[in-house]
Amino acid sequence: MSVALDRSLAHGVGHVADPDAAPVVSLRGITKIFPGLIANDAVDFDIRAGEIHALLGENGAGKSTLMNVLTGIYQPDAGQILLDGQPTRFVSPAQAIGAGIGMIHQHFKLIQAFTVAENIHLGWGETPVLISAKDIEDRTRILAEKFNLAVRPEARIDEISAGEQQRVEILKVLARGARILILDEPTAVLTPPEARELFKALRQFRAAGNSVVFISHKLDEVLAISDRITILRAGKKVALREAAGCTPSILANLMVGRDVVLHHARPASPHQANPGDPPPMVLQDVSALNDRGLPALTGIELELRAGEILGIAGVAGNGQRELSEVLTGVRPLQGGDIVIAGYRVPSSNPAMFRDAGIGHIPEDRLRSGLAPSLSIIDNAVLREYVIPPVARGHFIDHGSAAALAKRIAKDAEVGIPSFQMPVRNLSGGNQQRLVARREMRIAKSVLVAAYPTRGLDVGAINTMIDYLVALRDSGVAVVMFSEELEELLNLADRIAVLYEGRIMGIFNAKGADMEEIGLLMGGKTKHGERVA
Amino acid sequence: MAFRLQRLPSVRPEIAVAAHAVAIGLAFVVGGIAVTISGHNAFTLAAKVLTASFGSEFGLEDFGLLFGPLMLTGLAAAVTLRIGLWNIGAEGQFYIGAVFATGVGLFFSGPPWLMLTAMFLAGGIGGALWILVPTLARAYANVNEIITTLLLNFVAVLVVNYLSTGLWRDRKQSVLGATARIPYEVPNLSGSLHAGILVAVAAVVLMALLIRYTRWGYEVRISGANIFAAHYAGIPVRSRLISVMLISGAIAGIAGMLEVAGTVHRLQGGISNNFGYLGIIVAVLAGGSPIGVVFSGFVMAVILNAGIILQAQGILLNDVLAMTGLILFFTAIGEQVAHYRIVATHVVAQEA
Repeated sequence: MSVALDRSLAHGVGHVADPDAAPVVSLRGITKIFPGLIANDAVDFDIRAGEIHALLGENGAGKSTLMNVLTGIYQPDAGQILLDGQPTRFVSPAQAIGAGIGMIHQHFKLIQAFTVAENIHLGWGETPVLISAKDIEDRTRILAEKFNLAVRPEARIDEISAGEQQRVEILKVLARGARILILDEPTAVLTPPEARELFKALRQFRAAGNSVVFISHKLDEVLAISDRITILRAGKKVALREAAGCTPSILANLMVGRDVVLHHARPASPHQANPGDPPPMVLQDVSALNDRGLPALTGIELELRAGEILGIAGVAGNGQRELSEVLTGVRPLQGGDIVIAGYRVPSSNPAMFRDAGIGHIPEDRLRSGLAPSLSIIDNAVLREYVIPPVARGHFIDHGSAAALAKRIAKDAEVGIPSFQMPVRNLSGGNQQRLVARREMRIAKSVLVAAYPTRGLDVGAINTMIDYLVALRDSGVAVVMFSEELEELLNLADRIAVLYEGRIMGIFNAKGADMEEIGLLMGGKTKHGERVA
Repeated sequence: MAFRLQRLPSVRPEIAVAAHAVAIGLAFVVGGIAVTISGHNAFTLAAKVLTASFGSEFGLEDFGLLFGPLMLTGLAAAVTLRIGLWNIGAEGQFYIGAVFATGVGLFFSGPPWLMLTAMFLAGGIGGALWILVPTLARAYANVNEIITTLLLNFVAVLVVNYLSTGLWRDRKQSVLGATARIPYEVPNLSGSLHAGILVAVAAVVLMALLIRYTRWGYEVRISGANIFAAHYAGIPVRSRLISVMLISGAIAGIAGMLEVAGTVHRLQGGISNNFGYLGIIVAVLAGGSPIGVVFSGFVMAVILNAGIILQAQGILLNDVLAMTGLILFFTAIGEQVAHYRIVATHVVAQEA
């Protein structure tokens, strides 16, 4: 109990998690059902004082759902939450935070146009009714010092890095007295050095007797940070292990439920480009603006090569969306030229890019790759409705459209009960497979794949990677955006690093220095100076 | 065992239809209660409305004269809904369509079939011209079309008043506030019912086919469902938006032409009968579906007709029009409720 009452973050307290102590929070038999999906199936999970407890599982295993149940965002369909041994029920996140449980979501919930200090004080009972900007900044500065988190109280959220935004989220939760911190995939938006800083802060938090739940699907970081590891698979808890004594392959097998080959060793492409052929696409000194009209890409020089996978590495939000849209003709250029197969083309004409055989697996499929409320057939023919047999003059041949949809679903190995139902009824993974297959059909010269493995389970990731490799081997230039450096190193032939809208360097994947690429992703070179 | 509401991401079509039917039913129940409180017998009044509307040829003809224009203005609003836009200006486009048709009918002459064709085209062009500025403002400057189309309605009313009481006033018969009788008439089907209702049905069927079976219709549906996906797929969204808005205006303009050349035979203030605004309700009830407009247009025509009949019973037309508000209100609720289903749960957790 004394631990529960001590919410301060005193330094120098040794880390002692007492294994016999009653857990601070325990979830018993939590079941959460969504239409057509059992997200959590009688899951037990407990959190001790002074531990970092990792929740490991593939995408869709039910990790976030379980924590959303704990923090009152979802109500469980069955099961019980015990807080300090007492049955509890949270009907809102505000109640959970009131009980000292705070969650840092994967997508930050900050107001972009507000300052750090304003975000910290927003919706907080302890914020005085009348207070000046200077006062809340001072209060924020004191909090930042107390919890040892470097933030600038006066900075607006939209002008600070993802790492700093995450610190603001953490500070916001700690300021409200959290003793249990839940982090959902916290390293996804961080550079490797930022991730190390985060880990340091988490260890300090643990040292004060607090607890951390660390949600991740990355084996290495889970082993690096946690004391205990609970593994979920398809909504069920499959194991609870002490981190000491675990290895990545033990965890991977538990997570996937079968033996997994962790590294995709791919032979080089057999495709030999004809030296006389112009490259399928070249970007020359390309610049472009983002949706808010601010510069997003500057001086991009990039040559795609037939039969090659070009990986684009970088922390999310450094111009990836804009670059993928420039490569597919969706976003107009601010300056520079695009040359497709030797011909300079006007920018921002996606139909022309499509006709030139350039496919596009977009970053956010529901936002830009699909019309969620329309049928699977309508969505399946999105790229081919202008050509026969789906197009018959100015008309659409519904029979051919349905046949094409069936064909794509079959290639994608997606079982579909009714092709007339809205595409949003499919799971995210199945949507992704359909989009990927649809785009591969038209990608005769280039395929731009933005985070193609995001949201897929390990088996589906392997299938997706096989798709991409097969395309490459057939002579298509594949551009693959990913935030997993390791995935790129395994798969790509060359890797370009994107930082603040610039290409920091292009490396051959074979023999590339992971450390150097990691530093460039954060805008730093190996010698420590900041570039750009 | 406890029960809980669960929200479904999409509604099955039969549930959606049932929700609409229940909503309309509830609106009539509430309306009936109000009528009863005011001292009338709701059942007697309902019987009177039904026999007066459907029990005689005259009743059916009057009903048809309301049904036709409601289908057209409903269709005008429904087609813009397919691309995710609101044409609130069918009222104004109706008036200007009537103005153009009247201009052709009064100041040119020729064989009736030619003149009617010319008036028909003029009506469509007038309606399309009236929505042209809102369309271009929307397409090129992203100006909200709801505001611009709405405000132009008031301008159109003033234009019609100016012409019918001033410039084009009937000077021979010194009729106040109307033009001379237009010498060309839409042929009658039966009694006072003219062939405009057939035009309305044909327009509904044509639009339904265009939207379902053509590439243009496919592009409109994608643009309306997700504009980002439309851009991504290389669909010329701007040009589709312009074509849909102009077609919508033309349909409303044609409704105005048919009204002036088939029913009223003169241009005068108030000839739109609020058809333009009621069309918005018709389109919403139809869920933006052209074929649905036939059913919701029918319901709306019954209500309007009831209003006219009940005036003789001392009930004001406006009271009856309040029914349309009730129907919209219940439909909006019904559309949300249709997303939910009740599921049994086995929550063990205790109340905090």
